[in-house]
Amino acid sequence: MSKVEEVKAHVEKGKTKLIPGLVQAALDEGDAAMDILQAMVDAMSVVGEKFSAGEIFVPEMLIAAKAMSNGVDVLKPLLAGGPSKSLGTCVIGTVQGDLHDIGKNLVAMMVESTGFDIVDLGVDVPADKFIDAVKTNENVKLVACSGLLTTTMPAMKDTVAALKSSGLTGFKVIVGGAPVTEAFATEIGADAYAPDAGSAAVKAKELVTAA
Amino acid sequence: MLTKRQNLMETIKGGNPDRFVNQYEFLEIILEAPLRTRPQRGQTITNEWGITLSWPEEQLGPFPVHDQAHIAIKDITKWREVIQCPTVEFSDERWAPAIDHANSVDREDQFVTVFFASGTFEMIHFLQGMENGLMNLYEEPDYTHELIEFLTDYEIRYAEQIIKRIKPDALFHHDDWGSQIASLMSPQMFEEFFLEPYKKAYGFWKDNGVELIVHHSDSYAANLVPYMIDMGIDIWQGVMTTNNTPELIKQYGGQISFMGELDSGPLDVKDWDVKMIEEHVEKACRTCGKHYFIPCLTQGLNFSSFPGVYEATSEAIERMSKKMF
Repeated sequence: MSKVEEVKAHVEKGKTKLIPGLVQAALDEGDAAMDILQAMVDAMSVVGEKFSAGEIFVPEMLIAAKAMSNGVDVLKPLLAGGPSKSLGTCVIGTVQGDLHDIGKNLVAMMVESTGFDIVDLGVDVPADKFIDAVKTNENVKLVACSGLLTTTMPAMKDTVAALKSSGLTGFKVIVGGAPVTEAFATEIGADAYAPDAGSAAVKAKELVTAA
Repeated sequence: MLTKRQNLMETIKGGNPDRFVNQYEFLEIILEAPLRTRPQRGQTITNEWGITLSWPEEQLGPFPVHDQAHIAIKDITKWREVIQCPTVEFSDERWAPAIDHANSVDREDQFVTVFFASGTFEMIHFLQGMENGLMNLYEEPDYTHELIEFLTDYEIRYAEQIIKRIKPDALFHHDDWGSQIASLMSPQMFEEFFLEPYKKAYGFWKDNGVELIVHHSDSYAANLVPYMIDMGIDIWQGVMTTNNTPELIKQYGGQISFMGELDSGPLDVKDWDVKMIEEHVEKACRTCGKHYFIPCLTQGLNFSSFPGVYEATSEAIERMSKKMF
Protein backbone atom coordinates (compact mmCIF):
# COMPACT_ATOMS: atom_id res chain seq x y z
CA MET A 1 0.00 0.00 0.00
CA SER A 2 1.46 3.36 -0.95
CA LYS A 3 1.76 6.12 1.60
CA VAL A 4 -1.07 8.03 -0.09
CA GLU A 5 -3.30 4.96 0.09
CA GLU A 6 -2.38 4.58 3.74
CA VAL A 7 -3.41 8.19 4.37
CA LYS A 8 -6.77 7.52 2.72
CA ALA A 9 -7.31 4.32 4.72
CA HIS A 10 -6.41 5.97 8.01
CA VAL A 11 -8.66 8.98 7.44
CA GLU A 12 -11.51 6.56 6.80
CA LYS A 13 -10.73 4.84 10.08
CA GLY A 14 -10.42 8.15 11.95
CA LYS A 15 -6.83 7.68 13.06
CA THR A 16 -6.44 11.29 14.20
CA LYS A 17 -3.08 10.84 15.93
CA LEU A 18 -1.44 8.81 13.13
CA ILE A 19 -2.47 10.98 10.21
CA PRO A 20 -0.01 13.87 10.63
CA GLY A 21 2.92 11.45 10.61
CA LEU A 22 1.55 9.54 7.65
CA VAL A 23 0.97 12.72 5.67
CA GLN A 24 4.50 13.87 6.40
CA ALA A 25 5.83 10.45 5.39
CA ALA A 26 3.94 10.71 2.11
CA LEU A 27 5.41 14.15 1.48
CA ASP A 28 8.88 12.88 2.33
CA GLU A 29 8.46 10.13 -0.24
CA GLY A 30 7.73 12.75 -2.87
CA ASP A 31 3.95 12.59 -3.06
CA ALA A 32 2.39 15.87 -4.10
CA ALA A 33 0.45 17.80 -1.48
CA MET A 34 -2.58 18.03 -3.79
CA ASP A 35 -2.56 14.25 -4.33
CA ILE A 36 -2.48 13.66 -0.60
CA LEU A 37 -5.30 16.16 -0.13
CA GLN A 38 -7.35 14.43 -2.81
CA ALA A 39 -6.81 11.09 -1.06
CA MET A 40 -8.28 12.56 2.11
CA VAL A 41 -11.17 14.06 0.16
CA ASP A 42 -11.80 10.63 -1.37
CA ALA A 43 -11.68 9.10 2.10
CA MET A 44 -14.35 11.47 3.35
CA SER A 45 -16.47 10.65 0.34
CA VAL A 46 -16.34 6.98 1.40
CA VAL A 47 -17.18 8.04 4.97
CA GLY A 48 -20.17 10.02 3.69
CA GLU A 49 -21.46 7.05 1.69
CA LYS A 50 -21.10 4.72 4.67
CA PHE A 51 -22.90 7.20 6.91
CA SER A 52 -25.78 7.57 4.46
CA ALA A 53 -25.97 3.77 4.25
CA GLY A 54 -26.11 3.42 8.02
CA GLU A 55 -22.84 1.49 8.20
CA ILE A 56 -21.14 4.07 10.39
CA PHE A 57 -22.49 6.65 12.80
CA VAL A 58 -21.87 10.20 13.96
CA PRO A 59 -18.77 9.44 16.12
CA GLU A 60 -17.03 7.71 13.20
CA MET A 61 -17.85 10.59 10.86
CA LEU A 62 -16.58 13.15 13.36
CA ILE A 63 -13.36 11.32 14.04
CA ALA A 64 -12.68 10.83 10.33
CA ALA A 65 -13.23 14.54 9.73
CA LYS A 66 -10.85 15.36 12.56
CA ALA A 67 -8.27 13.03 11.08
CA MET A 68 -8.57 14.84 7.75
CA SER A 69 -8.33 18.19 9.49
CA ASN A 70 -5.12 17.07 11.21
CA GLY A 71 -3.74 16.00 7.85
CA VAL A 72 -4.73 19.26 6.17
CA ASP A 73 -2.86 21.16 8.88
CA VAL A 74 0.36 19.47 7.75
CA LEU A 75 -0.37 20.29 4.10
CA LYS A 76 -1.50 23.91 4.58
CA PRO A 77 1.92 25.59 4.24
CA LEU A 78 2.47 23.67 1.00
CA LEU A 79 -0.97 24.45 -0.40
CA ALA A 80 -0.96 28.16 0.39
CA GLY A 81 -0.27 30.26 -2.67
CA GLY A 82 -0.74 27.32 -4.99
CA PRO A 83 -3.58 26.91 -7.48
CA SER A 84 -6.84 26.73 -5.61
CA LYS A 85 -9.03 23.70 -6.03
CA SER A 86 -11.74 25.29 -3.94
CA LEU A 87 -15.24 24.58 -5.17
CA GLY A 88 -16.30 27.92 -3.78
CA THR A 89 -17.68 29.20 -0.54
CA CYS A 90 -20.58 27.59 1.25
CA VAL A 91 -22.49 29.75 3.73
CA ILE A 92 -24.26 27.54 6.26
CA GLY A 93 -26.46 28.13 9.25
CA THR A 94 -29.38 26.86 11.29
CA VAL A 95 -32.39 29.07 10.60
CA GLN A 96 -33.88 31.60 12.96
CA GLY A 97 -35.49 30.26 16.10
CA ASP A 98 -33.64 26.95 16.03
CA LEU A 99 -30.63 26.22 18.24
CA HIS A 100 -29.86 22.74 16.96
CA ASP A 101 -26.37 22.56 15.53
CA ILE A 102 -25.10 19.00 15.23
CA GLY A 103 -26.79 18.36 11.88
CA LYS A 104 -25.54 21.67 10.54
CA ASN A 105 -22.04 20.97 11.86
CA LEU A 106 -21.92 17.55 10.25
CA VAL A 107 -23.02 19.00 6.91
CA ALA A 108 -20.43 21.78 7.20
CA MET A 109 -17.75 19.23 7.90
CA MET A 110 -18.69 16.97 5.02
CA VAL A 111 -19.17 19.82 2.53
CA GLU A 112 -15.81 21.26 3.55
CA SER A 113 -14.18 17.91 3.00
CA THR A 114 -15.29 17.93 -0.64
CA GLY A 115 -13.44 21.19 -1.24
CA PHE A 116 -15.68 24.08 -0.24
CA ASP A 117 -14.62 26.91 2.00
CA ILE A 118 -17.14 27.14 4.82
CA VAL A 119 -18.61 30.25 6.39
CA ASP A 120 -20.55 28.97 9.38
CA LEU A 121 -23.11 31.48 10.66
CA GLY A 122 -24.02 29.34 13.66
CA VAL A 123 -27.55 28.84 14.92
CA ASP A 124 -30.68 30.98 15.17
CA VAL A 125 -29.67 32.85 12.03
CA PRO A 126 -32.11 35.43 10.64
CA ALA A 127 -32.62 35.65 6.89
CA ASP A 128 -30.82 38.97 6.55
CA LYS A 129 -27.69 37.47 8.11
CA PHE A 130 -27.63 34.80 5.39
CA ILE A 131 -27.99 37.57 2.79
CA ASP A 132 -25.24 39.67 4.36
CA ALA A 133 -22.94 36.64 4.34
CA VAL A 134 -23.52 36.13 0.61
CA LYS A 135 -22.75 39.81 -0.01
CA THR A 136 -19.63 40.00 2.11
CA ASN A 137 -17.92 36.71 1.33
CA GLU A 138 -16.12 35.94 -1.88
CA ASN A 139 -17.14 33.32 -4.38
CA VAL A 140 -20.28 32.13 -2.59
CA LYS A 141 -21.61 29.20 -4.57
CA LEU A 142 -23.86 27.58 -2.03
CA VAL A 143 -26.08 28.57 0.87
CA ALA A 144 -27.10 25.72 3.16
CA CYS A 145 -30.01 26.14 5.59
CA SER A 146 -30.60 23.66 8.38
CA GLY A 147 -33.58 23.25 10.68
CA LEU A 148 -34.62 20.49 13.06
CA LEU A 149 -37.96 21.72 14.33
CA THR A 150 -41.29 21.80 12.51
CA THR A 151 -41.84 25.20 14.14
CA THR A 152 -38.85 26.65 12.32
CA MET A 153 -39.89 25.50 8.87
CA PRO A 154 -41.59 28.86 8.25
CA ALA A 155 -38.27 30.53 9.01
CA MET A 156 -36.59 28.26 6.47
CA LYS A 157 -39.25 29.21 3.91
CA ASP A 158 -38.73 32.91 4.64
CA THR A 159 -34.95 32.56 4.41
CA VAL A 160 -35.06 30.85 1.04
CA ALA A 161 -37.57 33.41 -0.25
CA ALA A 162 -35.39 36.27 0.98
CA LEU A 163 -32.29 34.81 -0.66
CA LYS A 164 -34.10 34.26 -3.94
CA SER A 165 -35.58 37.77 -4.00
CA SER A 166 -32.40 39.52 -2.82
CA GLY A 167 -31.10 40.20 -6.30
CA LEU A 168 -27.91 38.31 -5.46
CA THR A 169 -26.86 35.64 -7.93
CA GLY A 170 -24.24 32.96 -8.52
CA PHE A 171 -25.24 30.57 -5.75
CA LYS A 172 -27.62 27.71 -5.10
CA VAL A 173 -29.64 27.04 -1.96
CA ILE A 174 -29.76 23.63 -0.32
CA VAL A 175 -31.93 22.79 2.69
CA GLY A 176 -32.13 19.93 5.13
CA GLY A 177 -32.98 18.81 8.63
CA ALA A 178 -35.30 16.38 10.33
CA PRO A 179 -38.71 17.82 9.34
CA VAL A 180 -37.57 18.85 5.84
CA THR A 181 -38.58 16.79 2.83
CA GLU A 182 -37.84 16.95 -0.87
CA ALA A 183 -41.40 18.16 -1.41
CA PHE A 184 -41.00 20.95 1.12
CA ALA A 185 -37.69 21.99 -0.39
CA THR A 186 -39.33 22.24 -3.82
CA GLU A 187 -42.35 24.07 -2.40
CA ILE A 188 -40.21 26.79 -0.83
CA GLY A 189 -38.04 27.26 -3.89
CA ALA A 190 -34.80 25.68 -2.69
CA ASP A 191 -32.50 24.32 -5.39
CA ALA A 192 -31.81 21.10 -3.57
CA TYR A 193 -32.52 18.96 -0.53
CA ALA A 194 -30.39 16.40 1.28
CA PRO A 195 -31.56 13.95 3.94
CA ASP A 196 -28.21 13.66 5.73
CA ALA A 197 -24.67 15.02 5.85
CA GLY A 198 -23.19 12.43 3.53
CA SER A 199 -25.65 13.08 0.73
CA ALA A 200 -25.46 16.84 1.37
CA ALA A 201 -21.79 16.78 0.41
CA VAL A 202 -22.53 14.81 -2.77
CA LYS A 203 -25.39 17.16 -3.69
CA ALA A 204 -23.29 20.25 -2.94
CA LYS A 205 -20.62 19.16 -5.38
CA GLU A 206 -23.24 18.27 -8.02
CA LEU A 207 -24.90 21.67 -7.73
CA VAL A 208 -21.67 23.56 -8.19
CA THR A 209 -20.17 21.47 -10.94
CA ALA A 210 -23.43 21.46 -12.89
CA ALA A 211 -23.80 25.23 -12.63
CA MET B 1 -63.56 -2.84 32.94
CA LEU B 2 -59.90 -3.25 33.85
CA THR B 3 -58.20 -0.45 35.72
CA LYS B 4 -55.61 1.54 33.77
CA ARG B 5 -52.85 -0.31 35.61
CA GLN B 6 -54.39 -3.72 35.02
CA ASN B 7 -55.00 -2.95 31.36
CA LEU B 8 -51.39 -1.89 30.94
CA MET B 9 -50.14 -5.10 32.49
CA GLU B 10 -52.40 -7.20 30.27
CA THR B 11 -51.09 -5.30 27.24
CA ILE B 12 -47.41 -5.71 28.02
CA LYS B 13 -47.72 -9.32 29.21
CA GLY B 14 -49.61 -10.37 26.10
CA GLY B 15 -52.75 -11.16 28.11
CA ASN B 16 -56.27 -9.85 27.65
CA PRO B 17 -56.43 -6.07 27.58
CA ASP B 18 -59.94 -4.71 27.15
CA ARG B 19 -58.90 -1.56 25.30
CA PHE B 20 -55.80 0.21 23.99
CA VAL B 21 -53.70 1.74 26.72
CA ASN B 22 -54.31 5.43 26.05
CA GLN B 23 -50.97 7.21 25.91
CA TYR B 24 -49.66 7.99 29.42
CA GLU B 25 -52.91 7.23 31.29
CA PHE B 26 -51.33 4.46 33.35
CA LEU B 27 -48.59 6.72 34.71
CA GLU B 28 -49.25 9.43 37.29
CA ILE B 29 -46.00 11.37 36.95
CA ILE B 30 -44.94 13.26 40.05
CA LEU B 31 -43.38 16.31 38.42
CA GLU B 32 -43.24 18.22 41.71
CA ALA B 33 -40.26 16.11 42.79
CA PRO B 34 -37.09 18.20 43.03
CA LEU B 35 -34.56 17.51 40.26
CA ARG B 36 -32.54 19.89 38.14
CA THR B 37 -33.23 23.52 37.33
CA ARG B 38 -34.83 24.11 33.97
CA PRO B 39 -35.37 27.44 32.17
CA GLN B 40 -38.85 28.80 31.65
CA ARG B 41 -39.90 29.95 28.20
CA GLY B 42 -37.87 33.02 27.22
CA GLN B 43 -35.14 32.31 29.80
CA THR B 44 -31.51 31.29 29.68
CA ILE B 45 -30.08 29.71 32.83
CA THR B 46 -27.01 27.82 33.98
CA ASN B 47 -28.05 24.80 36.01
CA GLU B 48 -26.49 22.91 38.92
CA TRP B 49 -24.20 21.00 36.56
CA GLY B 50 -22.86 24.15 34.91
CA ILE B 51 -24.87 23.48 31.75
CA THR B 52 -26.32 26.61 30.14
CA LEU B 53 -29.80 26.07 28.71
CA SER B 54 -31.77 28.51 26.60
CA TRP B 55 -35.49 28.44 25.80
CA PRO B 56 -36.24 30.93 23.00
CA GLU B 57 -39.68 32.51 23.30
CA GLU B 58 -41.18 30.95 20.17
CA GLN B 59 -39.69 27.51 20.63
CA LEU B 60 -40.97 24.23 21.99
CA GLY B 61 -38.39 23.68 24.70
CA PRO B 62 -34.93 24.53 26.02
CA PHE B 63 -31.63 23.66 24.38
CA PRO B 64 -28.06 23.58 25.67
CA VAL B 65 -25.81 26.46 24.66
CA HIS B 66 -22.47 25.20 23.45
CA ASP B 67 -20.43 28.16 22.32
CA GLN B 68 -16.89 28.13 23.75
CA ALA B 69 -17.85 30.37 26.64
CA HIS B 70 -20.62 28.05 27.83
CA ILE B 71 -19.42 24.48 27.40
CA ALA B 72 -19.20 23.02 30.92
CA ILE B 73 -16.45 20.48 30.23
CA LYS B 74 -13.99 21.82 27.65
CA ASP B 75 -11.32 19.21 28.41
CA ILE B 76 -12.63 15.87 29.60
CA THR B 77 -9.24 14.96 31.11
CA LYS B 78 -9.94 17.70 33.66
CA TRP B 79 -13.63 16.98 34.24
CA ARG B 80 -13.18 16.38 37.97
CA GLU B 81 -11.83 19.91 38.37
CA VAL B 82 -14.89 21.56 36.83
CA ILE B 83 -17.91 19.41 37.70
CA GLN B 84 -19.49 19.44 41.12
CA CYS B 85 -22.15 16.86 41.73
CA PRO B 86 -25.44 18.56 42.60
CA THR B 87 -26.96 17.68 45.93
CA VAL B 88 -29.61 14.98 46.10
CA GLU B 89 -30.67 16.13 49.57
CA PHE B 90 -33.71 18.37 49.64
CA SER B 91 -35.71 19.67 52.58
CA ASP B 92 -38.98 18.20 53.78
CA GLU B 93 -40.61 21.39 52.59
CA ARG B 94 -39.21 20.93 49.11
CA TRP B 95 -40.45 17.35 48.96
CA ALA B 96 -43.89 18.06 50.39
CA PRO B 97 -45.81 18.82 47.15
CA ALA B 98 -44.41 15.67 45.52
CA ILE B 99 -45.28 13.51 48.51
CA ASP B 100 -48.80 14.95 48.68
CA HIS B 101 -49.30 14.25 44.98
CA ALA B 102 -48.02 10.69 45.28
CA ASN B 103 -50.24 10.05 48.30
CA SER B 104 -53.30 11.18 46.36
CA VAL B 105 -52.84 8.51 43.67
CA ASP B 106 -54.90 5.33 43.63
CA ARG B 107 -52.12 2.82 43.08
CA GLU B 108 -54.65 0.17 42.04
CA ASP B 109 -55.47 2.39 39.07
CA GLN B 110 -52.16 4.00 38.13
CA PHE B 111 -48.43 3.71 38.68
CA VAL B 112 -46.96 6.46 40.86
CA THR B 113 -44.16 7.52 38.56
CA VAL B 114 -40.99 9.50 39.02
CA PHE B 115 -39.44 11.38 36.13
CA PHE B 116 -35.67 11.38 35.71
CA ALA B 117 -33.82 13.54 33.18
CA SER B 118 -31.39 14.11 31.65
CA GLY B 119 -30.14 10.58 31.18
CA THR B 120 -26.49 9.58 31.08
CA PHE B 121 -25.93 9.81 27.34
CA GLU B 122 -27.59 13.22 27.14
CA MET B 123 -25.49 14.43 30.03
CA ILE B 124 -22.32 13.36 28.21
CA HIS B 125 -23.09 15.71 25.35
CA PHE B 126 -24.91 18.39 27.38
CA LEU B 127 -21.71 18.76 29.42
CA GLN B 128 -19.22 18.64 26.54
CA GLY B 129 -21.07 19.62 23.40
CA MET B 130 -22.23 16.98 20.95
CA GLU B 131 -19.07 16.84 18.85
CA ASN B 132 -16.63 16.57 21.74
CA GLY B 133 -18.91 14.24 23.63
CA LEU B 134 -19.12 11.81 20.74
CA MET B 135 -15.47 12.11 19.69
CA ASN B 136 -14.32 11.46 23.23
CA LEU B 137 -15.91 8.04 23.02
CA TYR B 138 -12.99 7.36 20.68
CA GLU B 139 -10.34 9.79 21.85
CA GLU B 140 -10.72 9.66 25.63
CA PRO B 141 -12.60 6.43 26.40
CA ASP B 142 -11.20 6.04 29.92
CA TYR B 143 -12.24 9.53 31.00
CA THR B 144 -15.61 9.02 29.32
CA HIS B 145 -16.12 5.81 31.27
CA GLU B 146 -15.20 7.70 34.46
CA LEU B 147 -17.68 10.46 33.74
CA ILE B 148 -20.43 7.95 32.92
CA GLU B 149 -19.74 6.15 36.21
CA PHE B 150 -19.98 9.47 38.07
CA LEU B 151 -23.31 10.29 36.40
CA THR B 152 -24.66 6.80 37.12
CA ASP B 153 -23.66 7.12 40.74
CA TYR B 154 -25.50 10.45 40.92
CA GLU B 155 -28.64 8.87 39.49
CA ILE B 156 -28.52 6.04 42.02
CA ARG B 157 -28.04 8.45 44.94
CA TYR B 158 -30.98 10.51 43.63
CA ALA B 159 -33.01 7.32 43.28
CA GLU B 160 -32.30 6.45 46.93
CA GLN B 161 -33.80 9.75 48.05
CA ILE B 162 -36.89 9.72 45.88
CA ILE B 163 -37.61 6.07 46.62
CA LYS B 164 -37.44 6.84 50.34
CA ARG B 165 -39.84 9.77 49.97
CA ILE B 166 -42.30 8.67 47.31
CA LYS B 167 -41.99 4.90 46.88
CA PRO B 168 -42.58 5.01 43.14
CA ASP B 169 -44.08 2.14 41.20
CA ALA B 170 -42.65 3.28 37.89
CA LEU B 171 -39.82 5.32 36.44
CA PHE B 172 -40.09 7.53 33.34
CA HIS B 173 -36.51 8.08 32.27
CA HIS B 174 -35.45 10.52 29.55
CA ASP B 175 -32.42 9.86 27.35
CA ASP B 176 -32.56 10.35 23.57
CA TRP B 177 -30.35 7.77 21.91
CA GLY B 178 -30.91 8.66 18.30
CA SER B 179 -31.98 11.06 15.62
CA GLN B 180 -35.17 10.37 13.70
CA ILE B 181 -33.40 8.04 11.30
CA ALA B 182 -30.38 6.57 13.10
CA SER B 183 -28.94 5.87 16.51
CA LEU B 184 -26.34 8.42 17.56
CA MET B 185 -23.67 5.76 17.89
CA SER B 186 -23.14 2.20 16.75
CA PRO B 187 -24.73 -0.59 18.78
CA GLN B 188 -21.25 -1.82 19.64
CA MET B 189 -20.24 1.56 21.04
CA PHE B 190 -23.53 1.81 22.94
CA GLU B 191 -22.84 -1.60 24.48
CA GLU B 192 -19.29 -0.65 25.40
CA PHE B 193 -20.16 2.59 27.18
CA PHE B 194 -23.78 2.61 28.26
CA LEU B 195 -25.13 -0.92 28.72
CA GLU B 196 -23.53 -1.79 32.06
CA PRO B 197 -24.08 1.64 33.64
CA TYR B 198 -27.74 1.54 32.64
CA LYS B 199 -28.08 -2.03 33.91
CA LYS B 200 -26.67 -0.80 37.21
CA ALA B 201 -28.99 2.21 37.41
CA TYR B 202 -32.15 0.46 36.24
CA GLY B 203 -31.27 -2.51 38.41
CA PHE B 204 -31.13 -0.25 41.44
CA TRP B 205 -34.54 1.27 40.70
CA LYS B 206 -36.06 -2.19 40.24
CA ASP B 207 -34.37 -3.68 43.31
CA ASN B 208 -35.98 -0.90 45.34
CA GLY B 209 -39.62 -1.18 44.45
CA VAL B 210 -39.95 0.19 40.93
CA GLU B 211 -42.01 -2.27 38.94
CA LEU B 212 -41.94 -0.61 35.56
CA ILE B 213 -39.13 1.15 33.68
CA VAL B 214 -40.40 3.35 30.85
CA HIS B 215 -37.50 4.75 28.84
CA HIS B 216 -38.06 7.78 26.62
CA SER B 217 -36.18 8.17 23.37
CA ASP B 218 -38.20 9.85 20.63
CA SER B 219 -35.96 8.65 17.88
CA TYR B 220 -34.84 5.77 15.80
CA ALA B 221 -33.30 3.19 18.14
CA ALA B 222 -34.43 -0.15 16.72
CA ASN B 223 -30.81 -1.33 16.66
CA LEU B 224 -30.57 -0.79 20.41
CA VAL B 225 -33.64 -2.80 21.43
CA PRO B 226 -31.65 -5.90 22.49
CA TYR B 227 -29.74 -3.68 24.92
CA MET B 228 -32.92 -2.04 26.14
CA ILE B 229 -34.19 -5.50 27.04
CA ASP B 230 -30.89 -6.45 28.67
CA MET B 231 -30.84 -3.34 30.87
CA GLY B 232 -34.36 -3.92 32.10
CA ILE B 233 -36.52 -1.48 30.13
CA ASP B 234 -40.13 -2.63 30.10
CA ILE B 235 -41.50 -0.01 27.73
CA TRP B 236 -39.68 2.11 25.14
CA GLN B 237 -41.65 5.34 24.87
CA GLY B 238 -41.10 7.61 21.87
CA VAL B 239 -40.73 4.86 19.28
CA MET B 240 -41.08 6.67 15.97
CA THR B 241 -42.51 5.26 12.77
CA THR B 242 -38.97 5.16 11.35
CA ASN B 243 -38.33 2.10 13.51
CA ASN B 244 -40.78 -0.23 11.72
CA THR B 245 -42.61 -0.74 14.99
CA PRO B 246 -44.83 -3.63 13.80
CA GLU B 247 -41.69 -5.59 13.01
CA LEU B 248 -40.18 -4.76 16.40
CA ILE B 249 -43.33 -5.95 18.11
CA LYS B 250 -43.21 -9.18 16.17
CA GLN B 251 -39.57 -9.74 17.05
CA TYR B 252 -39.42 -8.52 20.64
CA GLY B 253 -42.97 -8.42 21.95
CA GLY B 254 -43.09 -10.19 25.29
CA GLN B 255 -39.60 -8.97 26.19
CA ILE B 256 -40.32 -5.26 25.81
CA SER B 257 -43.27 -3.13 24.74
CA PHE B 258 -43.40 -0.13 22.45
CA MET B 259 -45.14 3.16 23.19
CA GLY B 260 -45.37 5.67 20.37
CA GLU B 261 -45.90 5.30 16.63
CA LEU B 262 -47.67 8.68 16.55
CA ASP B 263 -44.84 10.95 15.45
CA SER B 264 -45.23 14.32 17.17
CA GLY B 265 -43.45 16.14 14.31
CA PRO B 266 -46.29 16.02 11.76
CA LEU B 267 -49.15 15.89 14.28
CA ASP B 268 -48.23 18.32 17.04
CA VAL B 269 -48.21 21.52 15.00
CA LYS B 270 -49.82 24.96 15.24
CA ASP B 271 -52.51 24.20 12.63
CA TRP B 272 -53.10 20.65 13.78
CA ASP B 273 -55.71 18.60 12.02
CA VAL B 274 -58.02 16.20 13.83
CA LYS B 275 -58.54 14.17 10.66
CA MET B 276 -54.80 13.64 10.27
CA ILE B 277 -54.58 12.57 13.90
CA GLU B 278 -57.43 10.08 13.34
CA GLU B 279 -55.68 8.64 10.32
CA HIS B 280 -52.35 8.23 12.10
CA VAL B 281 -54.00 6.69 15.14
CA GLU B 282 -55.98 4.22 13.04
CA LYS B 283 -52.92 3.18 11.08
CA ALA B 284 -50.82 2.79 14.25
CA CYS B 285 -53.43 0.71 16.06
CA ARG B 286 -54.22 -1.52 13.11
CA THR B 287 -50.59 -2.19 12.16
CA CYS B 288 -49.20 -2.58 15.67
CA GLY B 289 -52.05 -4.49 17.26
CA LYS B 290 -53.32 -4.99 20.77
CA HIS B 291 -50.29 -6.47 22.50
CA TYR B 292 -46.93 -5.00 23.44
CA PHE B 293 -48.03 -1.68 21.97
CA ILE B 294 -49.30 1.57 23.47
CA PRO B 295 -50.40 4.21 20.96
CA CYS B 296 -48.89 7.52 22.04
CA LEU B 297 -47.50 10.77 20.70
CA THR B 298 -43.74 10.35 20.61
CA GLN B 299 -42.96 13.51 22.58
CA GLY B 300 -41.94 12.93 26.18
CA LEU B 301 -44.49 13.53 28.95
CA ASN B 302 -48.25 13.64 28.85
CA PHE B 303 -48.91 16.86 27.02
CA SER B 304 -48.45 18.31 23.56
CA SER B 305 -46.56 21.38 22.45
CA PHE B 306 -49.72 22.82 20.84
CA PRO B 307 -52.92 22.93 22.88
CA GLY B 308 -55.49 20.29 22.08
CA VAL B 309 -53.31 17.83 20.21
CA TYR B 310 -52.75 15.45 23.14
CA GLU B 311 -56.46 15.41 23.97
CA ALA B 312 -57.52 14.92 20.35
CA THR B 313 -55.08 12.01 20.11
CA SER B 314 -56.49 10.42 23.25
CA GLU B 315 -60.02 10.76 21.88
CA ALA B 316 -58.98 9.13 18.62
CA ILE B 317 -57.39 6.24 20.52
CA GLU B 318 -60.58 5.78 22.53
CA ARG B 319 -62.54 5.55 19.29
CA MET B 320 -60.10 2.93 17.97
CA SER B 321 -60.57 0.91 21.16
CA LYS B 322 -64.31 0.84 20.50
CA LYS B 323 -63.67 -0.30 16.91
CA MET B 324 -61.06 -2.96 17.64
CA PHE B 325 -61.99 -4.42 21.06
